[in-house]
Amino acid sequence: MPSPVRILTAVPICDGHDSAINTINLDFIRHGIEVVYLGYHRSVEDIVRTAIQEDVGAVGISSYNGGHVEFFSEVARALRKQGADDIKLFGGGGGTITEADATVMRRNGVDKIFFAGTALTEMADFVRQHYGNTHRRRRKATPDMKLARALTEIEDRYAKNKRAGKPAKKKAKSLGKTRVIGFTGPGGAGKTTLIDELVLRLLRRAPQARIAILSHDPSVVGAGALLGDRATMINSQNDRVFMRSMATRGQAGGLSPATGECLALLARSDFDYVILETVGTGQEAMPFQNELVQKRVLVMNPDYGSRLQLQKIVMLDLADLVVVNKSDQSRARAAVSEIEQRLEQNKREQKLLSTVAKRHRDAGVDQLCDWVMD
Amino acid sequence: MSKLGRVVEAVENYNRFVLKEVKRARSEKKFGQQMIDRWNEVKAKTPIGTAPTGLKLPRLALPEIDEAGEITRYLLGEGLPGEFPYTNGAYREMYLEPLREPEVGSFVKAGQNGKNGHRKNRKKAPALEKTKQTEEPTRLFSGFGLAEDTNKRFHYLTGHQRSARLSTAFDGPTLYGIDSDADGVFGKIGEGGLAIDTYEDMVRLYDGFDMGAPDFSASMTISGPAPIIMAMYIAAAKKRFGPKVVPNLRGTIQADIFKEVQAQNETIFPTEASLRFLCDMIEYTTREMPRWYPVSISGYHIGEAGATPVQQAAYTVSNGFAYAEMLAARGIPVDQFAPRLSFFLDCGLDVEYIALARASRRIWAIGMRDVFGAGPKGQMFKLHTQTSGRSLVAAEFKNNLTRTAAELMLAYMNGTNSCHSNSADEPFTTPSEEWIRLAAHGQAILLDESGIFKHTMNMLTGSPGMKAVERAVEAAMLEEFRQIEELGGVLPAIEHRYQRSQIQTAAHRYEEQIYNGTRPIIALNKYNDRKDEMPEVKMVRTPRAKKQLQVDRLAKFKKRNAAKAERALNELTEVVESGKNFFPMLIETVEVCSLGQITGRLQEVVGRFRPMV
Ligand code: B12
Repeated sequence: MPSPVRILTAVPICDGHDSAINTINLDFIRHGIEVVYLGYHRSVEDIVRTAIQEDVGAVGISSYNGGHVEFFSEVARALRKQGADDIKLFGGGGGTITEADATVMRRNGVDKIFFAGTALTEMADFVRQHYGNTHRRRRKATPDMKLARALTEIEDRYAKNKRAGKPAKKKAKSLGKTRVIGFTGPGGAGKTTLIDELVLRLLRRAPQARIAILSHDPSVVGAGALLGDRATMINSQNDRVFMRSMATRGQAGGLSPATGECLALLARSDFDYVILETVGTGQEAMPFQNELVQKRVLVMNPDYGSRLQLQKIVMLDLADLVVVNKSDQSRARAAVSEIEQRLEQNKREQKLLSTVAKRHRDAGVDQLCDWVMD
Repeated sequence: MSKLGRVVEAVENYNRFVLKEVKRARSEKKFGQQMIDRWNEVKAKTPIGTAPTGLKLPRLALPEIDEAGEITRYLLGEGLPGEFPYTNGAYREMYLEPLREPEVGSFVKAGQNGKNGHRKNRKKAPALEKTKQTEEPTRLFSGFGLAEDTNKRFHYLTGHQRSARLSTAFDGPTLYGIDSDADGVFGKIGEGGLAIDTYEDMVRLYDGFDMGAPDFSASMTISGPAPIIMAMYIAAAKKRFGPKVVPNLRGTIQADIFKEVQAQNETIFPTEASLRFLCDMIEYTTREMPRWYPVSISGYHIGEAGATPVQQAAYTVSNGFAYAEMLAARGIPVDQFAPRLSFFLDCGLDVEYIALARASRRIWAIGMRDVFGAGPKGQMFKLHTQTSGRSLVAAEFKNNLTRTAAELMLAYMNGTNSCHSNSADEPFTTPSEEWIRLAAHGQAILLDESGIFKHTMNMLTGSPGMKAVERAVEAAMLEEFRQIEELGGVLPAIEHRYQRSQIQTAAHRYEEQIYNGTRPIIALNKYNDRKDEMPEVKMVRTPRAKKQLQVDRLAKFKKRNAAKAERALNELTEVVESGKNFFPMLIETVEVCSLGQITGRLQEVVGRFRPMV
């Protein structure tokens, strides 16, 4: 089976009209498309960087607050300038985009505009027909572009092998300066926010460092996936961060079949930090079997239920660090002491931290950063 | 239990209480007679008006009932207009033409002389409401280009009105607290609303209007940076009319953070910081500007984002209770803040709109009285309505006139206090003069030309169908409240993405229904034989030269104030960090700093908003 069609969608800067794109994203996913969603109020720069790093087939923009001729044209120009104009540009904005506008936009490099009144399935069919196989060899590719394309090739290979039923395997090489940190934990624990706050601190404290993030979202059974972490990871949209969103594509346990190999590639690609984030996992999950992951972090919500539940969480035995996030909740104190007791059973060096990732300049996240850099 | 859970109980209790009283009126002779006496008195004292045809009509229509139980059910269950639980209207008289003959006495006065059980909820009509009655309910949302362009539009719109009720739309950069000179926003300047960078723009915006006059009011549709824009408004008024004008300022600023996070996506600081800034502003205005409405709790955006009408009303009213809880927790007396809360709902063509505002008004009144202990003015759900933009489509767009007319009917049948009617060119552009004129005329035709709403209160309320919808909507809203309560209340539900994901699912269903034909939209999926003709519509866009002018003006302002700006921002930072109310300082800061400078600094201090998918 070929890889699903992968596209990027976003809403321009100073525009919060996301109802259309949310609906369209949902419809695309049901039609088997993988959608990296960057969110609303996004700059040309963020969109182009994301399109390249995620190596999508096309970028779809939904614009309502005017200035669309300029905005679409700037995205097209920036893609061209970077030598990435094999990535197609399409979109809509209901009645705010006129036929005359669309003509100018097409001249400036926009592939397709969908006007008000277009049926949802018509758009999904168009995307599947036209944006599945847009990749062309690039004459002047930057290292990020090459890396992005290599990751795509790994994912494609796994997608094909899946049918053949033999997963490809590859051995890890030594890592040099690169540190690989894995984050896992149940859904709703705030992993994504925590990682984004960590990235903010790493960027400040290590002004030369480059960071890679491999983030995972679940595929919808028999369909595509919404890869939406970028929308909330505001600090990670930065030229010093290379982020790649992966869909689990039917694999249980929080990662994708291709994760191991993608991680290995990132780990030898000259980053200072490589951060791996799983999807929200269950109690039995132990996603970091990979020897490349040097530090394993379990992020928990104080709201895990009774003490008994803690006995069942396998990652509590394997984690090097347990973070109790959302520790402003009333249950947090009790949670920390219960987890502390649970960790004592293991009789090994395990660290426990309390954070409130959503709080500006949270001291707990500062400590997490110390631990990561240590 | 959060206060929302207690509101659910209060409404259930109240409904039981009404039933009990109905029974009592039937079984206890004395009580029954009291209710009948009151009823007869109300009827007797209702003034009679005359239609232009000579027909005599009572100014208040009442159901034809004479049995004590039914009278009790009416008086307690829905109440006369302007009486608890305000189902029929927040005020006694809404759009009625002023009476020509001397008034014989009104039913409210009559009620006060009567002897019955719920005297404490009755209110006198104070001077402020008098002005309210004589003002037109028409309030048209407008803004485009630069301040001076919108100023001209304001004068055009209000030229023929008795009062100037302005409603201001801001452009994208302003809504996100960004300056016009920021990277990558040039194309957005003055599009979809007007550009405001400094308080000097605000001076230009309301030029020629007497900002302190009793018949002037301004509404500003902005939430994320609302405190900064509010401060600019105050600074502009002070500059033009001196400091004494402040207590006279009348108007509304949207400032609703909850619905931004749920639906409109213009939050710029983390939710908690945004709420703190909002409460600082409310605390200031309720004290210093008693005629200002510092928050307009809005369902319009929730509805337009695709929520069902019930979701819209339930999230909006629950957001309202959450604000009340926050303000009470700050120690502001309920009768100081509650009368200054106002609401804003959408009105589309789904059947729920027949009674959506009625049900909302009732739940709000009961909750505020029985859970928050508010007096009558704090129980009244003061409502602005906008006809639905999303119901207006591009295909054969002139049909939008009919859609808007039907929605206006529904809005006024629901007793809205003010109303915006969308222009037929809504799907394409900020309205051009031609269509905005027709939108304004639509309201005048309904209210001035037709006799539907001007002779008699309750003209179209209380039909069996309306009551059936009202009851179904109330039950469904309470069910939504229970869901939110189960997640821990409004704020925790927001953090769970509850409202957002519900809205998104409903929005997808709505679009799906259009394209699979189960939701007929005329000329789009039904009678759509002219489908391929794209209409020619005049687009309102801001020329490059104007955009450049705004950028240049801003550069001059920044240069002129460079030295003072840094000092002012540092002082502002100190106040914010100290935890004190930052609003008084903000009013000074805006005199030397631009919107973007202030937003930027505040984001350094409290962080940036982290969007939710
Ligand atoms: C819903 C809506 C809102 C909601 C948005 C809720 C949300 N979270 O999205 C609310 C009420 C919050 C809102 C607010 C504002 N709005 Co508004 N809004 C609309 C409205 C009514 C519908 C847009 C919509 O979502 N339609 C549903 C979609 C599914 O259908 P569609 O638009 O026809 O799009 C079709 C295709 O074009 C295609 N498509 C669209 N995008 C994409 C993208 C891709 C990738 C693809 C493949 C296809 C595609 O899909 C659809 C299927 O057929 C329009 C007017 C209208 N009737 O169109 C105004 C409108 C877009 N808004 C407008 C304005 C000005 C604003 C405000 C700036 C007002 C203000 N000053 O405060 C604010 C700004 C909000 C913000 N945060 O940026 C103006 C824009 C004017 C202009 N550009 O000149 C409009 C045109 C109304 C008007 N005439 O004034 N708005």
